[in-house]
Amino acid sequence: MLRFLVRTFLLTFAVMALQAQQTEVVLSASSSAKLVLGMAPPKLSGLEEAQVATEFTAVLRRDLDETGVFAVLQERLPADSAPAKAWKEAGAQWLLTVRLTRGVAGDLQLEASALDTAAEKAVFTKPYKADRMVPLRRLAHALADDLVARLTGERGVASSRVVFIRQMAPGVKELFQIDRDGANLIQLTRHGSLTLSPTVAVDGRLAYVTYKGGAPEIWGQRRRDGPHEKLYPATGSGGMISSPAWSPDGRRLAFVQGDRRGNSDIMVLDLGTGRARRLTDGNGINTEPSWNPNGTQIAFTSDREGGPQVFLMQDDGSNLRRLTSEGQYNASPAWSPNGAMIAYVSRFEGKFDLFIYKLGEGKAYQITTGVSTSESPCWSPDERRLVFTSNRFGSMQIFTTDLSGRQVVRMTELPGCQSPKWTRAR
Amino acid sequence: MRYGTYLVPAAIVLTLGSLACKPPKTAEQIKQETQAAFNEGYQAFKDGKARDTNPYLSAKEAKENPHKMQGWYDGWDKAKADKDAADKIAADKAAADEAARKAAADKAAADEAARKAAEVEKAAAYQKAAEAALKTIHFDFDKSDIKEGDRPLLQGIADFMKAYPAAKVEIEGHCDERGTNEYNLALGNRRAAAALAYLKTLGVDEARFTTISYGKEKPLCTEAKEACWSQNRRGEFKLK
Repeated sequence: MLRFLVRTFLLTFAVMALQAQQTEVVLSASSSAKLVLGMAPPKLSGLEEAQVATEFTAVLRRDLDETGVFAVLQERLPADSAPAKAWKEAGAQWLLTVRLTRGVAGDLQLEASALDTAAEKAVFTKPYKADRMVPLRRLAHALADDLVARLTGERGVASSRVVFIRQMAPGVKELFQIDRDGANLIQLTRHGSLTLSPTVAVDGRLAYVTYKGGAPEIWGQRRRDGPHEKLYPATGSGGMISSPAWSPDGRRLAFVQGDRRGNSDIMVLDLGTGRARRLTDGNGINTEPSWNPNGTQIAFTSDREGGPQVFLMQDDGSNLRRLTSEGQYNASPAWSPNGAMIAYVSRFEGKFDLFIYKLGEGKAYQITTGVSTSESPCWSPDERRLVFTSNRFGSMQIFTTDLSGRQVVRMTELPGCQSPKWTRAR
Repeated sequence: MRYGTYLVPAAIVLTLGSLACKPPKTAEQIKQETQAAFNEGYQAFKDGKARDTNPYLSAKEAKENPHKMQGWYDGWDKAKADKDAADKIAADKAAADEAARKAAADKAAADEAARKAAEVEKAAAYQKAAEAALKTIHFDFDKSDIKEGDRPLLQGIADFMKAYPAAKVEIEGHCDERGTNEYNLALGNRRAAAALAYLKTLGVDEARFTTISYGKEKPLCTEAKEACWSQNRRGEFKLK
């Protein structure tokens, strides 16, 4: 019943959102609960104004906009040399001033300070230094993250990255990485075969499934920045293998192994000993393991009771219980970084939408709506947004959404993307 | 008178001398005589009256050097002659061997070619049979049951496997684009397993099959409509 109310409530927004989708990628979010930040034009020395406008100011503005906690003041800005009072009258609660200097060696210096316009006292001051190789946009991301940290107590995610799979040719998929704002696309694997299901450890180590040897194998990094090597199976073919997931401590790898009778089971591979242990009981399909933040429980999808549903269990396979109760097809659970929520996808009116199950409340909330399908949710490290794939513009592309589902932002314009994983560690 | 003392005896000596000596032979006469002697010897040799011993050789020497029996040395070297003879025999033998080997090789090559041709023919027949038998089967959404209509196709595959006992086949499970990537990989595995189980009931050794799931990662058709999805929910059979 409550879910129905939530749906009708969200549906009204969805109608508005759909109209906005036609033209705008960034759907307007209400700024009622946000801190209004005025940005004075940056003071520059040794840098060109046009370059700073596109590579710093615009980037910072977008970063802050997407944090969900700041609203950047964009209209009726006071004059360049206006006092703090003028900014206050214009509506700014904080005034951000930035001084950017490029040294003779090409190094960058950024001095940023924020002033509370009501109390007229500094709330934030931080100098940044960067060598010539660091692009301006990285500085903007760092500043945005620090401003969010000052306001909320937790660093923002502007500097974070998303690892995902992209189709290169039919039957050939490779691993890519992109900055959170859609810049700086990097190809991470060149296996020339199907490469699927990436997972990123807390220290940035990758693991994924690749079909380069014919049968699927888990490949990944045993140490930080190390070479990509085969992790499982040690010898021979292991049948169907999919869905690796690093444990939060990065020592274990949950994954899925299918047998020749059509069952698939959640396994846990201990990287230290190389030993794999089966957690589920060979009863139907068990897949998509997702660890809770302290690595004691695993959420997974199982069809043991008919259609796919989300289940929870301890990391030794005990205490198995079903989480989702509504709907015929609930899958792809993703445990939130703080452990209180589980995002998943549910088949709803013939297409798939993102839902969030709040463990404290024992209730599910629908996040995405519309005529398109949304899949593969993964939490942002600050738990404020979800990254997911959607075909709302035709082919599967990567989007992020806030938890209300109203501020949906397209991250890439690359077709054929899947399995995004959001990380601070790379 | 003093000169007459020498001249007279000298004249006498010269006169007597010239009377006593025959005139010297001319070169022509020597040649004729030599030819005649040769002819005589040759005739004797032809008549079988040639000497069978060399008067200049001791009996022992004659035994050791029978080629010197005729009494002249013609540069004939026994060691060399023996060696040459042995070489010739060896060369002849080698040539004969070579010829035999070549003949054998030709025969082998011909056999090989024939065998290969037969093999190619057999392989072609095998491929053709495989192509005819290994048909794609299809599934319903989120299902892995073998459809009634696909049973004859699986029977055909079982017959093929029985007709070609060396054949090995990989069963691929595929899904349509709906549902998560990972769940569809598991579902594809289940579809491959369902086909495997059915083939096992038809009496084919399951060890001759491998299964692999591609989930929804290798669609045949990429449009978002049922006509397309139903093509993608499939089990494919590939020779291994």
